[in-house]
Amino acid sequence: MSATVSEQGSAAGAARKASTSLHWLEPYALILPAMAVLAFFFAGPAIYSIALSFQQVSLFDLGKPNAWVGFDNFVVVLSGAGLGAAFFNTAVMQTFVTVLLRLVFGLALAILLNADVFRRWHLGWLVRSLVLVPFVIPPVVAVAAWKWLLDPRYGAVNQLLISVGAIERGIPFLSRTSTVWGAVETMLIWRELPFVVITFLAALQSIPKELKESARIDGASEFQIHMRIVLPMLKPVIAVVALLTTIWTFNNFVYVWLATRGGPGDYTQVLATKMYTVSFVDYRVGEGAAIGVLMSVIMFVFALAYLTILARQNKGKG
Amino acid sequence: MATLSTRQTRLHFARDLATVIFGLFILLLLAFPFIWVVLISFRPDREIFTRTFRLITSVTLDNYYALLENSPFPNYLVNSAIVCSISTVAAVIISLVAAYGFSRNRSFKGRGVLLMLVICTQLFPFVILITPLYSLFLHLGLIDNPVSLVISYTAMNLPFAIYLLLGYLDTIPQDLDEAAKLDGASTLQIIFKVILPIAWPGLVTVAVNAFVSAWDEFLFALTLMTSDEKKTVPVGLAGFFGEYTTQWNLVMTASVITTLPTLILFMFLQRKLVSDLAAGAVKR
Repeated sequence: MSATVSEQGSAAGAARKASTSLHWLEPYALILPAMAVLAFFFAGPAIYSIALSFQQVSLFDLGKPNAWVGFDNFVVVLSGAGLGAAFFNTAVMQTFVTVLLRLVFGLALAILLNADVFRRWHLGWLVRSLVLVPFVIPPVVAVAAWKWLLDPRYGAVNQLLISVGAIERGIPFLSRTSTVWGAVETMLIWRELPFVVITFLAALQSIPKELKESARIDGASEFQIHMRIVLPMLKPVIAVVALLTTIWTFNNFVYVWLATRGGPGDYTQVLATKMYTVSFVDYRVGEGAAIGVLMSVIMFVFALAYLTILARQNKGKG
Repeated sequence: MATLSTRQTRLHFARDLATVIFGLFILLLLAFPFIWVVLISFRPDREIFTRTFRLITSVTLDNYYALLENSPFPNYLVNSAIVCSISTVAAVIISLVAAYGFSRNRSFKGRGVLLMLVICTQLFPFVILITPLYSLFLHLGLIDNPVSLVISYTAMNLPFAIYLLLGYLDTIPQDLDEAAKLDGASTLQIIFKVILPIAWPGLVTVAVNAFVSAWDEFLFALTLMTSDEKKTVPVGLAGFFGEYTTQWNLVMTASVITTLPTLILFMFLQRKLVSDLAAGAVKR
């Protein structure tokens, strides 16, 4: 084994000596495969998508020379009735509400589970396993489970509500405008909460115990300790988690699509489902691409904020 | 004094107990939807579609037989297994080589910009790529061909993989590379014979993460695979609870089987994986 390696090695060594002038190329050669895949998957399509947004294209005309129509697609999309509603649904109902609730519940749960007693009683493994349950479940399964739980006739939620006398007949949660957003938000928060809890738990565990201990000796209450010491120390983590979850949720397609298809009517349509519907159901690819371009402009602002925070934190670390 | 301290410890114990009970109650509530799915999958039809809530009923494997013998579900499982395995291996190899390039070469031109671009792709809205990618794959004749999914999933997982492995490789001392280089090993030999055996904990995290996110992926599979024989598990499963009457017992059974691979992977690697993913997310 070692003999073959060194034999190959000496040959390679000789070859390298001959090509030292090309040595500066090595890092590029190493990252080339990754960059090629990323260029094919991200950069190319992103540029292509901008081009499509200025063309009159149907799904069946893809790749043929199509008419350039300037900003027509953007005008059609922006003046259409659905876009404002879809933007509101995306920004507020799907993103803002669920990110805020995830941060609040996630922080509360992380502080609760960080209590010393779980470690002393050797319950850490149980806590970690249970927290992770929604996290290991594919989003499609999460939606299936909740659709079944919320089924008007056979669903456990309605059956329990009926048996305690809260309602007389099962509520079709996903087809009523008054309940549908609550139901979709529940699915989303349930599936995505563990990530927030786990990240906050990791951050909480990195806070030195002595800090809390000395505050306790000084007579601070648990509430004061958390408000004055723990929260300020978690601020950078909270900011990063808030921005990351905002970006991921804003672009999310799967929960609304599988739970309601944007319905009842267009009531829960979000930008991602709207874009998909316009492109792949109505075949108006140019308009779909225009929606995509508008989405990425909005996301660009968030990404910039995220990178700024990240850069500032790295500078702080030195 | 003695009585005071026993009372204090008793009080302390009561508070501990309350914390644990409350914490576990919340966690069980959080886990309940999935526990319910598992219970339903072992329940006979006639006891599923009843009007009253019951936690415990008789147990049967009928749903599993029905799903695995009389439905296209096993085919979806095979499709997913193939696509996810190949794309995972590809993502791990490509990201390891790239991460090594970034880690051991600190000053080549464009390094900062390229790394920044890699990180930025993680913030990219995947959903807007679907139309142009559909068109691209249509040109290449790869619509309804699993190769398009393999490429997509490999690319989708590369940024996080490169980023995480870069952090890992930076902690491995360069002396080892130097020693191997003196022995005349080529760079690729160093990566796969020297670095790979040391970096395997990072590689496992990357592999599990890549496999799971490919296994979960819905939108690309929905758009790029057009025939029923080529469907992957998430899309196939979603078809089971489509617009028409739904056989919830089969949906729940399929849900359990769909969750099994990710559940097993996470159970084995729980502690490590969790800390890696959390750290990766925050430091990203």
